[in-house]
This record gives sequence, C-alpha cells and structure tokens, in this order.
Amino acid sequence: MSAREQILDRVKAALKDRQATELPGPFRAWRPEQPADTPVDGLALLLEAAGGEVVRQPNIDAAAAWLTEFTTNFDTATVGETVPSKLTPGLESSPPDIAPLGVSMASGAIAETGSLMMNARDGRRSQLLAPTHVVFVHARNVYATFHEALSKARDDLPSAIGLHSGPSKSADIGQVMVKGVHGPARLIAVVIGDD
Amino acid sequence: MSHTVPNQYRSEAARTLRDLPKVRTSVTSATDNFNHNRLRAYGEIDTDRWRNWARDVKTHTLTNLDHYLEQAEKSLTANGVRVHWAHTSADALAAIREVVSEHDLKSAVKGKSMLSEELGVNAYLEGLGVHVREADLGEYIIQLLGEPPSHIVGPAIHKSLEDCQQLFHEKFGTPLDGDPDTLAQAAREALRAEFLAADLGITGGNFLAADTGTLALIENEGNIRLSTSLPRVHVAFVGIEKIVPRLEDLAGFVQLTTRAATGQPIGNYISLIQGPQHRDEVDGPEEVHVVFVDNGRTNLLADEEAWEALRCVRCGACLNICPVYRQTGGHPYGWAYSGPIGAIIAPGILGLKEAMPLPYASSLCGACADVCPVRIPIPELLLHWRERAVEEGLAPKTEELGLRAYTALAEHPQLFSIGGSLLRKLPWQRGGRALPVLSGWTQERDAPDPSSRSFQSMWKDGIK
Repeated sequence: MSAREQILDRVKAALKDRQATELPGPFRAWRPEQPADTPVDGLALLLEAAGGEVVRQPNIDAAAAWLTEFTTNFDTATVGETVPSKLTPGLESSPPDIAPLGVSMASGAIAETGSLMMNARDGRRSQLLAPTHVVFVHARNVYATFHEALSKARDDLPSAIGLHSGPSKSADIGQVMVKGVHGPARLIAVVIGDD
Repeated sequence: MSHTVPNQYRSEAARTLRDLPKVRTSVTSATDNFNHNRLRAYGEIDTDRWRNWARDVKTHTLTNLDHYLEQAEKSLTANGVRVHWAHTSADALAAIREVVSEHDLKSAVKGKSMLSEELGVNAYLEGLGVHVREADLGEYIIQLLGEPPSHIVGPAIHKSLEDCQQLFHEKFGTPLDGDPDTLAQAAREALRAEFLAADLGITGGNFLAADTGTLALIENEGNIRLSTSLPRVHVAFVGIEKIVPRLEDLAGFVQLTTRAATGQPIGNYISLIQGPQHRDEVDGPEEVHVVFVDNGRTNLLADEEAWEALRCVRCGACLNICPVYRQTGGHPYGWAYSGPIGAIIAPGILGLKEAMPLPYASSLCGACADVCPVRIPIPELLLHWRERAVEEGLAPKTEELGLRAYTALAEHPQLFSIGGSLLRKLPWQRGGRALPVLSGWTQERDAPDPSSRSFQSMWKDGIK
C-alpha cells in the first residue's frame, strides 16, 4: 500500500464514528472599532506602525516627480516587470543582488493588515534583495480587508504573492528589534491617487 | 548542548535551573514580551469571535480531513506542484532524497520549520552530502551553536545578547560589545551569499488552502520569501493537519496566528505560494514539492479526545504563558515541540511511553487554554494523557498507590475519619520530608499547621 493510501485509510478509519461539523461562514474582521476611516488611511496607519513609510501622491505624474527627487541619492536600481514606464527611475539598471534600490508595482494592498501585495509577475528578486524598496500602489487597489483582497486575487493567481507589511525585521538577537535582516531594511509605499 | 529525549525531562529541567540560570532570565524576559504584545493585539479585536471561528473551521476541516486532503492534492497538482505523501518520518526523508538526487542538489537554505525539526531533515541531508543552512536568524544562531530550538516561534530565546555577541565575535570577528544591528548585518552578509548559491529551498507550511492549493508561510525576516524564490527547487513539508478549506480562510488564520504569537496584526512577510514559476514570470523556482506528513498525526486524529490538539497553529502562546515552560525554556522537553502543546501532541507523534513524563510537566493552571487562538482544551488533554498513562501502567507508582489508598479511605467513612485524625497529628515538616509523595512539595514550601479539629466535628457544632 502506498503512503497516500495508508494515510487516507487511517484518516477515514479515525473519522468513522466522529460527527462531522459544518463549515462556518467567511471570516469577518470582527473588532470593537475600525482603526481608520478609509482604506488608504488604514494602510498607512498599520504600515507605519510596522516600521514602513507611506507617501501619498495625487496622481501618477506627481508620483513620478516624487521618485525623481527620491532617487537622487541612488546610483542604480532594479525595477519590477510591471512598473509602468512613467514610474521607472532615470537610473542605470543593475542586477537585483547588487542594486541599492528596488522599485516595484504592487498588484494591491490591504488596509486591515497594512500589507502590499507583491505579485510574482513583477519579479521576485527585485522585491527582495535591495536594501531599500519603493513600492507603488494605486489607491483604487487598496482593499479594506485581507479577505476581500484574497477574494479578488483568486481568479488570477500568480506562482506567488508576497504580502509585505513592513521592513525585514528580527528580534532573535537578545530580544532587540533590528531591521534589514534578509529583506529590505527600508520599505516605502507610494500610494497613487486617481486625480 | 546535547539533544535529549522527553524521558529525561525531570533531570534536564533540574540541570537547566541549576547550571544554566541565564536561560531562565532570557526565557522569562522574552515570553514576557510575547505575552504583553499578545494581550495588546487580542485587545484590538473581538477575540472570542475570531477564536470561535478559527476553532470551528479547523474542527470542520479535521472532521472531513480525507476530503480536504484529496482536494488539496488535486489543486496542487493542477498548479504544477509535485505532491508526496509521507506516512512516517522515513517516508518524508525519502521524498526529499528523491528530489535531491533527481536534481543533484548540493546546497539548501531553510526557513524555520518545526516539522523539519521533528523529522530530522538537517542531519539527514547533511548525511547525503547536502549543505543545509538555517536562514531564520534565531535558527542560524542555534545551528552555529549546535543546539535545538527552544521555542516554536523564537528558537533562540534562551540565548542572551551576550551569548550572541560571543558567538558572532568568534564566527565573524564582530566586536564583543557589538550591538544587535552590527551582529545582524554580519549574519545578513554571510547568509546572503548562501541564498544566492543555494539550489534548494526548504520550508514548512503554516496553512494550505485546499481549494486553490495555496501554501501560506508567515515570517518577519524575509528568509522564507528568499528560500522560496531564489533556489531552483522548493520543498515544503506540510503536516496533514495544516489544511484549511478556502483561500479566504487564510485571512482569518494568518492574522489570528500572528496576533497570538508575537502580537503583530500580521507578519511582515507572508508568502502565498501556488506553485513553480509561470511562463509569464521572470524568476521563481522551477519546481515546487509539497510533502504531506502524517508521522503520528493520524494517531492523534483517531484518539477520541486528543484529536482536538490537531487544531494547533503553532503560535507558541501556550508556551509563553506556561509557568512551567517559562522556568526552563524548551530544551528539557527533549523534542521539537515544548510547553503545553508539546506535551499533548507528543503521545500521538512519539508514543505515550516515549512522551512520558511530559503530560505531567504542568500545574494544570489552565492559562494555556485561556490564550489558545483555536481553543484547544489543553489542561483537559493533559489529564487525558495522564489517565491513559495510569491505564497503561506508565504513571508514577506513587500516584497510583496514593489514589488507591484514598479511594479505599473515601469508601469507608470510619476509616476516613481515623485517617483524618492521624493526619492532623502528623508532624508535617518532618513527615513531608519522609514521604516521597510529599517531599517534592514540602522541600520548597512550609506546610501550614493542620487544624486541631476535623471539618465534620466543626460542622456538627453548627459551623455553616
């Protein structure tokens, strides 16, 4: 008998006399009070509390101008595949493992958890290896809840979605919080409005 | 430090307290932080509703587990994931050996996984000539020290900053008074090189959604994202109890787990993995393997009471709150899962005899049940295993004899009354030390003087 059959047979035998229970309805973010009024406010509140930075720009041109200003301190960058040309920094491109800056486009964001949804189609190395990570996200793609974000994502799932909700951090050395252990030490979310 | 077995619990706990006093200081301080943060995070939500929901989803899944396992296998296969089944730890190790030899893999980076600890993956792969590097910072520290993890979430919480400074000084030449940032940077550089060179990424799995075949992994450092993105092959060991029915269920479970574990609304990195790199993607692993591991979980599932322990999401909250765990940390428990949850799953996974005396490593105070995010009745299950231990003749003989003597007395009112008056006249301090049953209690405590009159005689005199 294969291990598969062994396991399934044992599971069935174990459950033979056990009452099966109903599947509860969907998870709702039951909480006494909502932390913020709008999804973008919620995203900013949680992401900043987790050590991230949030920049709000009214439209894509303003976001592009912000990027030009921001990147004056960098020589090169690695840029995600789905970043629109307007938001591509005017810097020389470098491989992700040596780039000082990564620029990505998030496919969405989650207010409830302060998370940016990093889609594998954008390229994973450029999302993970540079010490500073700038992530653009459209305000219209900021979902109120994690549940809603997963529901929207389910019909077009890439090989992986990474939720980034702050810079890389660890308290494994003497319970002291440090940033930038493996992933980026600095995470800047740029929320682009619909003006 | 040597790896021990649960049977050595009493002597190992005593040794830790006697010879390694700094362990208690570090563990207490770390678990105080975890507790403080969990309390705050639980306070922000309607914790009862979240926990009831999570309990009910897990209970439903477990009572229909064969269905969900088959559905998960179908979804994973459709996503291009290769699914393996492992009835025993030997099956699980054989599965990874197959992958390693098929691709001639030489070098692995590993995300923190308690299941891989349970299975002994590192030692096995090293034996095959595969270099295995633990990439979680805490796991990395104890790997360098040759120690097992001492906590489900914080594997190195028994180590102080000074311990780490000494280790990193010897390993990387960082200053003996180097701050945590300096040490972490040294580790980042060393591990980055290993990430870029590795051809195999190994992880566990926090949850697996059956309908979409999505594997969910929670972390804060980014080592799991790197381990599942850079190497060309990813192997995930997933306990068969880790399944949830729907993709959207991950929203509740991921948030509840991190709130219970570290008090965060969510881990800073969550990986939601569907499979290998798609054609329209520029990077990611060429192959993803999921190994479904039983290794005694179906023993637990078959137990009329203990099956509820399979709801566990491995948050470590019961360890943090446990007055017994907090004194020694996890090493004396002698296997991968320590604390209250370890004590109730050990009899299923290791066998009751091998797990003894872990069900006794508890004062039954009940704090673990209060904090459990999936409402596992841990104290009741500890008692359940103690009953089983008595039935199977594994319990301490003194306990069995004592209870028998008490039963005989309680069934005979006159004997009971004589016994009571004898006890009131016993010189307690000396008597306690003389009786092995009581010495464990009286060596640390002054017994109160017994009342001069029995309750029954006071009752007769009208005390109500």
